[in-house]
Amino acid sequence: MTLTGRFVALLALGVVPIVLLGRTPAMATAVLGLWVLAALALGILDLSLAGSPRRVALTRSLPTRVRLGESVTSDLYLTNTGTRRLNMVVRDAWQPSAGAGNNRTRLALPPGERRLVSLQLTPTRRGERRVDRVTVRSFGPLGLWARQATLQAPGQIRVLPPFTARKHLPSRITRLKELDGRTSLMVRGQGTEFDSLREYVRGDDVRSIDWRATARHNDVMVRTWRPERDRRVVVLIDSGRTSAARVDDEPRLDTAFEASLLLAALASTAGDHVDFIAYDRRVRGRVQGAQGAELLSRMVDTMALIEPELIETDWAAVPAQVRAVTSRQALVVLITSIDAAGASSALLPVLPQLTRRHTVIVASVTDPTTLAATHERGNREEVYRAAAAERALLDVARVSAAIRRQGAEVVTGSPADLPPALADRYIALKAAGRL
Amino acid sequence: MSLLKQAPSEPPAENAVATTPTLRAAGRRARFWLVAGAGALLVAVVSTVLAVGGADGEPLAADSATPVGARALVEVLRQQGVIVTAADSLDEARTLTSAAGDPTVFFFDPDGLLSADQLTAMARLAPRTIVASPDFLTLQTLAPAAGFGGVSQATASPARCTLPAAVKADTVSPGGPTLTIPAEADGLTGCFPSGDNAYALIQTAASDRTLTLLADGTLFNNERIIEAGNAALALNLLGAGDELIWYLPTIADVPGTGSPSLGELTPGWVTPTLVLLVLVTVAAAVWRGRRFGPLVAENLPVTVRASETMEGRARLYARSNARLRALDALRVGAVQRLAGQVGLSRLATLDEVIVLVASVTDRPSGEVRLVLVDAIPATDAELVALSDRILELERATARATTPLPPERMDS
Repeated sequence: MTLTGRFVALLALGVVPIVLLGRTPAMATAVLGLWVLAALALGILDLSLAGSPRRVALTRSLPTRVRLGESVTSDLYLTNTGTRRLNMVVRDAWQPSAGAGNNRTRLALPPGERRLVSLQLTPTRRGERRVDRVTVRSFGPLGLWARQATLQAPGQIRVLPPFTARKHLPSRITRLKELDGRTSLMVRGQGTEFDSLREYVRGDDVRSIDWRATARHNDVMVRTWRPERDRRVVVLIDSGRTSAARVDDEPRLDTAFEASLLLAALASTAGDHVDFIAYDRRVRGRVQGAQGAELLSRMVDTMALIEPELIETDWAAVPAQVRAVTSRQALVVLITSIDAAGASSALLPVLPQLTRRHTVIVASVTDPTTLAATHERGNREEVYRAAAAERALLDVARVSAAIRRQGAEVVTGSPADLPPALADRYIALKAAGRL
Repeated sequence: MSLLKQAPSEPPAENAVATTPTLRAAGRRARFWLVAGAGALLVAVVSTVLAVGGADGEPLAADSATPVGARALVEVLRQQGVIVTAADSLDEARTLTSAAGDPTVFFFDPDGLLSADQLTAMARLAPRTIVASPDFLTLQTLAPAAGFGGVSQATASPARCTLPAAVKADTVSPGGPTLTIPAEADGLTGCFPSGDNAYALIQTAASDRTLTLLADGTLFNNERIIEAGNAALALNLLGAGDELIWYLPTIADVPGTGSPSLGELTPGWVTPTLVLLVLVTVAAAVWRGRRFGPLVAENLPVTVRASETMEGRARLYARSNARLRALDALRVGAVQRLAGQVGLSRLATLDEVIVLVASVTDRPSGEVRLVLVDAIPATDAELVALSDRILELERATARATTPLPPERMDS
């Protein structure tokens, strides 16, 4: 139950008769009492005539998924099952980061009829956004007092990672296609397959002429090669405490998602199998055995619910996780942070176990503000800041050197640069036949 | 992204489950507190009512049942057919006495509110006036001959006078204050003596009116009226006429002075309007303060900036003036970049880098060595200057090693 501004105004209007009629204190007090009693009586009458906010049936219609940054419409159907007209305000209580904006809707609902309340949701955060309750405030015919009830109407939408790095995808796919059918420029190795024979055109490497086929065809034939297909790519994201840190106002984990999505899209186009694991001390998310469009949709679905855990990642268990996915040779991409020698001391000892069998890339987000700070040396504070930034860069360089010494590759970049850099490294490895 | 939207099926007949408790359910849940609150209120009311019967109360008030009140006497007088009317002010007493046929006035003024003129006027209101516990001004005005005696030490107080009321009473409670009459005074009768011309009761009789002064007014209160002959004395003194005006002066008798007070100038509607404004404020508080359903909880992630370790280390350097350590970090970074610029590998020694940089930039190798290795800053200003020289060296090396654009090769 509540009251409205109209009731407050009605009560305040009592000043007029009190001043006009109240010549003596006794008279004025009597007028005051009568006015307050009359206002209360009107309010109670109004309340008793208001429709019951409990006699409302609710149905939700929600899209199940939305990509972060996009908007969806949340539909709520209200049916008046009572016998009185409901003159009401409805509050659809979405969580704040669902981005519902003003979630109060004024509505008149005759008995037995149904109305639609639509809200534009623009979620501001990845993950599951929920709504549990709908609050209905039903006003009386005079609009003085109102009845209020909170009704259960659960609903949820899953907010997926934005995958803004997909803008890099077309150019990378183009470069990947260029690898097909190359002859001379490609470094042939274990990872390349014989593709086809075709007629020699000027410019082809004479070393790739297949003499036996030339003899059969009466024309000069060359062999062409294509990158090996059906390789395995295992993307393992560190969701431990270092992934919570924000670089350029984006958690490291989200950048890791962007990079792994771009890599997965690219590798899946190139015909490789991609497996995805998010791991700290246990598996937070896993996508295995999916291909094509299903792979990406399952990946974003899994990623949506993963949040950084404030615990140290158990790197000793990582080789076993990779072994559980594949026993064949694979490209293993570890997306973590290599900021400090101390924080990476658990990662370094397990790398040989992985590099013995697989090609390993360690990808890490670097902070562009650190690089910028090394050049700002105007005053005492800035010089010390530049020194600290140099020290941080040296730490990264030292850890990177240690990782390279273990036989793994290192890719670093700012949040905007890391996804394309990782994709480029993948293409380079594929071109080199090292998958 | 495909937005899956299911069309809602038939309108459901079932109401949504309400989480707000109904009025009845809320009452049932709060029953204990309601009962406890009502009980506390009851206890407070009962204890207040009982406390009224305590020692506090206006002395000799006609309607007071406390030990110091005089309700017992007034009730008995009324039963005897005397019309007892209480008066709060001299004007009221005057109105009452002028309306009555044969009035008696009982006057008791413990606070000394009346002035001499008012006392004289009061004494002229009725044929019989009884003054209880007269103070100095009352004695001066009404019976200048009489004076104050001490507190009586007598153990018994017989009448020993000819006043009918005193004779009928025979005795009153002994002790208490007394009044004195000088030996040569005329027209004054003293009763209940306690030696040295000290009396508990004095009567002065003029032609048409008698004035009786009772030294100790507490003889007539509820507590002591039943002692000795107090009741008989009181009933005979006060019940002489048909009507008794029980006049206890109040603040209304004090003549107002100067300009009218703020309260008198205030129009009658001001206080009710203020009350209304308070009510409006309360209503507005309910209107604005009523929450539109419960708050929605959401777990939000912590915000940790990745550069915090760098900033923290910078502040540590600055606070401890770790100039050499900071400079070392700058130099190591610079040497690595320089090695890359002049085409040396990461594993090149410091001396190789210095020699090559010096030759590329046309500087003496001693100067380069000073900047990159030897100089030790003594103050922060020197540190800033050295850091600038390192930057300058890096820039010069970059200029020297970057090939000029093709169109400017000839310059």
